[in-house]
Amino acid sequence: MTLPTTAAALPDRLWQAVTGGDEQEAVGLVRAALAEGVDEEALLLDVIAPVQARVGVEWAADRITVAQEHTATAINERVIACLAHHPPSAAPPTPPRGRATVSCIDGEWHAFPARLVAEVLRLRGWQVDYLGAQTPTPHLVAHLHRTNPDAVLLSGSIATHLPTAHAAITACQAIGVPVLAGGRAFGYDGRYARALGADRWAADARGAAAVLAGGLARPHPAARRQAADDLPHLADQEYTMVVRSRPHLVKETLVALEERLPAMRDYSDAQRERTAEDIAHIVDFLATALYVDAAEIFTAFLTWTADILEARNVRARSLVPALDALSEQLRDFPRAVRLLREGTTALHGPSAPGPEMCA
Amino acid sequence: MTSLPPFEFSLSIHREPGALIVRLAGDLDYDTSDDLVDAVTEHMAAHPRLADVRLDFHELTWIDSAGLSALLMIRRRTGAAGVTLHLDNRPTVLNRLLDMTNVLDHLTAPATREAEGDGRTDGRTEGAIEGAGDARTEGGGGVAADGSATEAGTS
Amino acid sequence: MLVVDRHGGLVRVNEAARVLLRGAAGGDGAAARVPSWLADAHRRVSDGLPGADPGPPTGTIDDRFFEAHPTPGADGDVVWWLVDETGRHHAENALSDALARSEILAEVSSALLSSLNVPRCMEVAATMAAEHLAEAAVLVGPPQGRRHPLTYARRGGPVTQVTRRVDVSIVPGLPEALQGFPPVPARWINPGDIPDWVIPDDFAGPVGSVIVTPLPGHGLPAGALILLRSSTEQAFTENEELLARLFAARAGSALSAAGLYSEQAAITATLMQDLLPPPLTSVHGVEYAGGYRASQDQERIGGDFYDVHPGADASRSTLVALGDVAGKGLEAAVLTGKIRNTLHALLPLADDHLQVLSLLNGALLTSHHTRFATLVLASVRRHRGHVELRLTSAGHPPPLIVRNDGMVEEVPTRGTLVGALPTVTARTVEAVLAPGETCLLYTDGITEARGGPLGDDLFGEHRLRRALAECAGMPAEAVVERVRMLTAQWLGAGGHDDMAAVAISAPKPGSLAALDGRADGGNPRRHR
Repeated sequence: MTLPTTAAALPDRLWQAVTGGDEQEAVGLVRAALAEGVDEEALLLDVIAPVQARVGVEWAADRITVAQEHTATAINERVIACLAHHPPSAAPPTPPRGRATVSCIDGEWHAFPARLVAEVLRLRGWQVDYLGAQTPTPHLVAHLHRTNPDAVLLSGSIATHLPTAHAAITACQAIGVPVLAGGRAFGYDGRYARALGADRWAADARGAAAVLAGGLARPHPAARRQAADDLPHLADQEYTMVVRSRPHLVKETLVALEERLPAMRDYSDAQRERTAEDIAHIVDFLATALYVDAAEIFTAFLTWTADILEARNVRARSLVPALDALSEQLRDFPRAVRLLREGTTALHGPSAPGPEMCA
Repeated sequence: MTSLPPFEFSLSIHREPGALIVRLAGDLDYDTSDDLVDAVTEHMAAHPRLADVRLDFHELTWIDSAGLSALLMIRRRTGAAGVTLHLDNRPTVLNRLLDMTNVLDHLTAPATREAEGDGRTDGRTEGAIEGAGDARTEGGGGVAADGSATEAGTS
Repeated sequence: MLVVDRHGGLVRVNEAARVLLRGAAGGDGAAARVPSWLADAHRRVSDGLPGADPGPPTGTIDDRFFEAHPTPGADGDVVWWLVDETGRHHAENALSDALARSEILAEVSSALLSSLNVPRCMEVAATMAAEHLAEAAVLVGPPQGRRHPLTYARRGGPVTQVTRRVDVSIVPGLPEALQGFPPVPARWINPGDIPDWVIPDDFAGPVGSVIVTPLPGHGLPAGALILLRSSTEQAFTENEELLARLFAARAGSALSAAGLYSEQAAITATLMQDLLPPPLTSVHGVEYAGGYRASQDQERIGGDFYDVHPGADASRSTLVALGDVAGKGLEAAVLTGKIRNTLHALLPLADDHLQVLSLLNGALLTSHHTRFATLVLASVRRHRGHVELRLTSAGHPPPLIVRNDGMVEEVPTRGTLVGALPTVTARTVEAVLAPGETCLLYTDGITEARGGPLGDDLFGEHRLRRALAECAGMPAEAVVERVRMLTAQWLGAGGHDDMAAVAISAPKPGSLAALDGRADGGNPRRHR
């Protein structure tokens, strides 16, 4: 933290403002801090970013509602927009230090981390093209052909987007643009960024700016590769099979759960649908773990889900039976079976006695 | 992930005295609507003495805006030929779309009323469709024009 | 054939070997007559060591190429049979040159084709030319006005790109190359005539030899390539000139393709600018937010559209239009452009929705197709902290209103689609939003999104209503974001139709938009 002492209370006050839906107060706080001489990067990364991170944590703990979560995010976005329109404290060096493209993985709708990185790079004198959330990979590639940036910063929060990220990484590199990956999806130490062949990984916005400042070598343009070149285990077709049969797996698991848990037979349509969605998530994370060949993607998701349900006073009783039902259906796929077993073990850990999911 | 095969679209066409009966099955959408228009146009050209074209939607599974656009085009063709269009066995999905877009009366207006409607087309739309071969006979707005007077501006 | 003893002395030499080794005879010290590669091989055989390379030892004697096959003789002597392989050796050399050449060309093609960006393509071409063909390469692009883009590459060094005014006419062969004439043979070019601007800054020593070759493009020349070698290096051979020409042909066509792509992309970007939905912000104390996703992921435009036309001041209504053209992609997008322009022109009549729709209907009617549009018009005005709405649907899904208590109401407006029937009817409905309440206009791409956990279910109106019920009290952009997120999740990786949504919200106290409404909006802002 590089905040002056007068601004130390700022994160708490901003938190109150954004969760209370008080945009005037939120923007006023940040403007006042700027006027007091707090630098913009510190405001972005040491005030706004922690507040946004807290939004996610408090939602998971069921201490704020979905509406509050979305409202807080929207107001935080507006606060950043106000900062962006604020005349910069020091004139940026001209010409720009270079050009960088900031994009989310196709399908990723958590744009906030990417937005922060884009703003920080701008402050540090880069020409930034911010493509935001839900940028289809073909658009990203077309953009790179047009602008020829020094690097692409690819942001992802949810691990299930890793297979899509892989396609984007290889596509960018195939046209000679290096990829700097960042965000929770790539693992706390960037291990999945390495597994997918990203040129570099950064833990946060400052790290990304530092990597960019150090310069990234262009990947050899002729070195095209396909997914299976980075991840030879894909040859066992387990990933492909699970993805292709997802609707079937979900349906069969739902039927199996109804057999095993009589209470489910009285579920309303909405409850059944929520259960189906939970099963679909399990299948998606299982598929991703198969793709990257990393069990912790799957186990971390399961324990997180159990915690979320716990916070809502719902005991996730059907999680383990769902894993059992999936093991049954996938019994001919050894990697999937192993993952499901590790998932069951993780759920039987100290914090999760007999679970139940969805109400 | 949603790569389930789409419902197979098919048409079966029957002739009865004075009538052409087209049974649709599957999704009438962006990918299939041209097939329907082409089939009806071809058969109408081959059988100039038709009085009725009946589209049977009993096995229709889905219709989108492109499908509705195809029905409007068929209505133009039947209207120009003095043929009445019938939309039989309409499933909910079709009724909802026809209701929301307010075109059911137009699509199924009897051919005999066409000539009356033609004269009543107002100057503005007349200008827009001037010289428009098959569209000139398009009238059918009698009911709609009456409706507009009563419904306009109410709330 | 010759026989050599274990000390390297010649024991016997046959007639052929005598001629070859210039009169060598038995009894001579082999070192004096035998070529060093053979003497070397003999020592290895005598010492029982393996050969330096697999296969028999080889080497040249005068300008002939020989293989030497040893056979053990008596008393440690070695009988050497020399076999003349000159012809085969030449053929092999030629083959390996050709292989190396095609390998280089394959690598070059693959690298060049990877980018469709012209400067990047020039960078790759110059780098590869310096790596494989010369010590330094200068790529001169076609003139842009009076200046030429220049790319300098030195083997193992960095690439520099500048666009500069240079005199191309003083470089021998360059004006011709830039006009696409066949290259001037390298031996005709006097390295001393090369002007300084051609020579990269850190080029070692004076220029020894030069190749200037055109980069043939598709139709128009794509530039010229100058290859430089310093005087301490061997001059370019004819073979190397040939390779340079082959290289230039590939570089030229890659540059041409990149140029064509850039041009097309620029044209498309310009045309699309007007077809993309505008960014929305708050106007006259009312919050607006829009979200849009085109159906085909390769295209950013489609058949859904929306606009917000601010009233002249806060006392006048703002007109919002959101709609959907039957069909997809560019054709549909062009029609949305026509509708948006027509609506813009009809703004003076905006208070009478039915009249606007009738005029729009007339403007769109054509005999060529029945591609219709459905839309919703909303006239919006803030009055005493509340937002007053007048809403008219023309064949479009009715707007939904999210009340502060979480109730979701459908606005019962209904009317005829536009662009296919001679006349249209419509019923306008009024509604009022209290602070915190939102009216959502949306296209059927949202409710008809197919996916969900079982893979092929429609998102449907009931799920949209359920989602909106959770959005009570949220600001406009948060509502749109929530709807976008849920539909994206629902779709997964599945295909979908165009989707668009516009949220109109009455700001709560504490919103900046609420402030904006209090200040008199005497300053109309355009949001396109």
